[in-house]
Amino acid sequence: MQRVVYRNWLNVLFLAVLSYVPAAWSASHQASTPQVQAELVSSTKQVVAGETFNLGIHLKIIPHWHTYWRNPGDSGIVTTIDWQFSKPSQVSDILWPIPSRFKLGPIVNYGYENAVTLPVKVKIASDAKLGEDFKATAIVDWLVCKEECIPQQVTLTLKLPVVASANIAKDVRGQTLIDKSLAKQPQEIPSEANLKQVNLEKTNDGMALHIPHSSLSSEEIQDIWFYPYNWGKIAQSIDQTKTINADGITLALKHGDAPLNPNESLEGVLVVKEKRGDTLTERGYFILPKLVVPQSLRGNSTSDIKLVSQAPDLGFVTALLLALIGGVILNLMPCVFPVLSIKALSLVSHTQYSQREILWQGIVYTLGVLASFSLLAGLLIALKAGGAQIGWGFQFQSPLFVIAVAYLMFAVGLSLSGVFTISGSVAGLGGTLADKPGYAGSFFTGVLATIVATPCTAPFMAAALGYALTQPALKLILIFLSLGFGLALPYLLLTAWPALHRKLPRPGLWMERTKQVFAFPMYLAAVWLVWVLAQQSGANGVAIALGGMVLIAFAAWLYDSTQYVSFKARASANVGVAALLISTLFISYTYLDSVPVESTRSAVKSSVNNHWEAYSPERLEQLLAEGKPVFLNFTAAWCISCLVNERVALSQPKVIAAFKKNSVTYLKGDWTNKDAQITDVLTTFGRSGVPLYVFYPAGRGVKPIELPQILTPSIVLNTIPSSH
Amino acid sequence: MQLKQLIATSLVTAAFSFISTSVFADPVVDQPAPAFTGTTAVGGKLSLDSLRGKTVVLEWTNNECPFVKKHYESGNIPQLQKDAASKDISWVQIISSAPGKQGHVDGATALKLNETRGAKPAYVVLDEDGKIGKLYGAQTTPHIYVIDAKGVLVYKGGIDNIPTAKKEDLAKANNYVRETWVALAVGKKVPHPSTKPYGCSIKYPT
Repeated sequence: MQRVVYRNWLNVLFLAVLSYVPAAWSASHQASTPQVQAELVSSTKQVVAGETFNLGIHLKIIPHWHTYWRNPGDSGIVTTIDWQFSKPSQVSDILWPIPSRFKLGPIVNYGYENAVTLPVKVKIASDAKLGEDFKATAIVDWLVCKEECIPQQVTLTLKLPVVASANIAKDVRGQTLIDKSLAKQPQEIPSEANLKQVNLEKTNDGMALHIPHSSLSSEEIQDIWFYPYNWGKIAQSIDQTKTINADGITLALKHGDAPLNPNESLEGVLVVKEKRGDTLTERGYFILPKLVVPQSLRGNSTSDIKLVSQAPDLGFVTALLLALIGGVILNLMPCVFPVLSIKALSLVSHTQYSQREILWQGIVYTLGVLASFSLLAGLLIALKAGGAQIGWGFQFQSPLFVIAVAYLMFAVGLSLSGVFTISGSVAGLGGTLADKPGYAGSFFTGVLATIVATPCTAPFMAAALGYALTQPALKLILIFLSLGFGLALPYLLLTAWPALHRKLPRPGLWMERTKQVFAFPMYLAAVWLVWVLAQQSGANGVAIALGGMVLIAFAAWLYDSTQYVSFKARASANVGVAALLISTLFISYTYLDSVPVESTRSAVKSSVNNHWEAYSPERLEQLLAEGKPVFLNFTAAWCISCLVNERVALSQPKVIAAFKKNSVTYLKGDWTNKDAQITDVLTTFGRSGVPLYVFYPAGRGVKPIELPQILTPSIVLNTIPSSH
Repeated sequence: MQLKQLIATSLVTAAFSFISTSVFADPVVDQPAPAFTGTTAVGGKLSLDSLRGKTVVLEWTNNECPFVKKHYESGNIPQLQKDAASKDISWVQIISSAPGKQGHVDGATALKLNETRGAKPAYVVLDEDGKIGKLYGAQTTPHIYVIDAKGVLVYKGGIDNIPTAKKEDLAKANNYVRETWVALAVGKKVPHPSTKPYGCSIKYPT
């Protein structure tokens, strides 16, 4: 239709006409364009119902022209085959033989010249009837290029009679072509006894792909080249410089436009041309090495590393500061606040103590917090050294820990309600400390504050702890101590600053009432923990926990009601109380352990009505491979901020609608119980715990976007690109 | 609730500052776009600096490439160019085909071609020695680069996400140029700053 002035219009017209010739009318197994003769070939002359055989598209290409591999390289388009069968049959993807590379100035392409056969495996439908013809139609699309490129399409058809297996005959020509192509398929790397593997390491300016010598029994390697399966993982046009030494061969690769993240695998084929005697052989090896970032390049703040790892790369000082702020914020968390306000109010009633004694209370309390945090840090270091996959909040992955904290919350609640009172000091420490200002009490308040604070990950803490977990032991401990100091700081200031606590209201009945009111958040915390337990251990776990609470309540009543009876009666009652508590813990311990963990996925079971699917690495990989947008949410039943985010942001109708409109798949991963695979992903993003929100935009190899740990609908909506 | 707001704001800032830019083959997204001065089809000179203050689109082209034809004959690129003009976005068409190779044209022919195709780029730059193309690492026709008003490269890659020469695929495709414009207009992060370019290879001098 257009009136374009071409310099060489005749030539263009000729190409244009021929390139758009649909060979459909031919209904033949052969079709030709000026550059390519295409033929549909079969490994057998007949087919057998339910059996597998090979079909192939043989392309004969005129000299200097080429078609493309599964990854065409810098330009070009992959060849595609659209199969149609007279009986629905299963067909594999194209089994790509190893490609060659073509360099045109600064552009490198991967493909085939002269001739290539693209085989597939076909499993004939089992209901194909004897005597009928099995008709296979292939619509083949390719781009053929010399320097200029022409897209072409042909339709090829082949009819093969369905016979009994005894009557099958080889198609010599088809079989030869297909076999020749199958012989050039990439193979697994031959491994010797001491399995030496190909590895991929990050370097200052790219990546080093190392192939140990034992993997290749090469006398003389003429050429070695890595062909990636996916675009953007390496810079395809840059020479892969090889270094050969006693260890093996190292290829220097440069990052492409969609670089690998640490621990992401580089998928592709390593093609080696070897001279064995007088013959030149060419082999392809399928490899899938993970990108390893050497220690020397970690924590390095060059922009290069940041970009590849995407991990929050906090400086040590920043991490310390964030931990401190996080600790201070922990004081406001619903489970910590009541405990600490009671403690603060006790200062009011302790006006008889000297300023010095009060300060010591604060210091001892701080020591209690710091001791608990050191213990936690030590535990983390030990577990890490043991190779365990852990992250912050890991304690809550143990149902035993959850039930113990639930009991503790409940007991503190009972105490606040006035069901029982522990005179002056923590039970079991004797009355000697009771008339002192309760230093032991202060210490254990610190311990208690730490325990009740652990489920509440303050936002600043998350970044600091994520960083801490990747650090050597000393730094890890320092960050934990800084966090603990932050937690202790408000109370410490209160004790150190007499002017401040003189400002506290005067004691009175209101103190008793406040205490009683604060019991209710504790009961709520216990209820929540029982709910967490229900996710972990099912209905039995709930029964055990509630039964245990009744026993604790009974023990509390027994303890309190016998406080003013004779010493003998009181002693036996106390023995009874201790026995009750021990048996509660023991029953919980033995029973919970034997509860099967199968049902634990219940927190994340997707149903048809849900707007999300359960996370699995396979599902994520599949969606990403298809280039579909994905919203990833890693959550846990014991993580309060996760649940809040889901309620206020992710479950909002407009967010659900936006996901739907942009066909975003919402995957939810549950970290309520231990899951090494999820821990791995968290580590990739530099996190040690949940929540983690990541948006993978549409398109392959596109960089994922991390969302903050506090979500609002607008944060989520702004991250998802509007579709155009 | 100011504290909560403060926390949320800091977090958003922190989270986004970790999504950093890349260090690969030049040029780099989120970095200043390489400066160039080229000869235009009307015989003048065009320097990238002179376009500072406006969004700039660089489009590598070759009128004989089937992929370029897909986007011109369907009216896709001409429409984008018209929309660019109405939004005060400078659309620069760059032809890097070497003399004697496919797509190499002189200035008059280039202008004539655009007229017959209904194409209205703001500028046509003739880059027959391939210097600008190589400076930008341009590989295919079409290959698109978007530079913001501050001269920072914000997008490089394909024109859309369906790498075929078939016009019927345009309806289903996600046009990355429009997507980038929308993001720039509302001050959002460009959703796909670097994508796979597709098309014919650029016919650089050998």
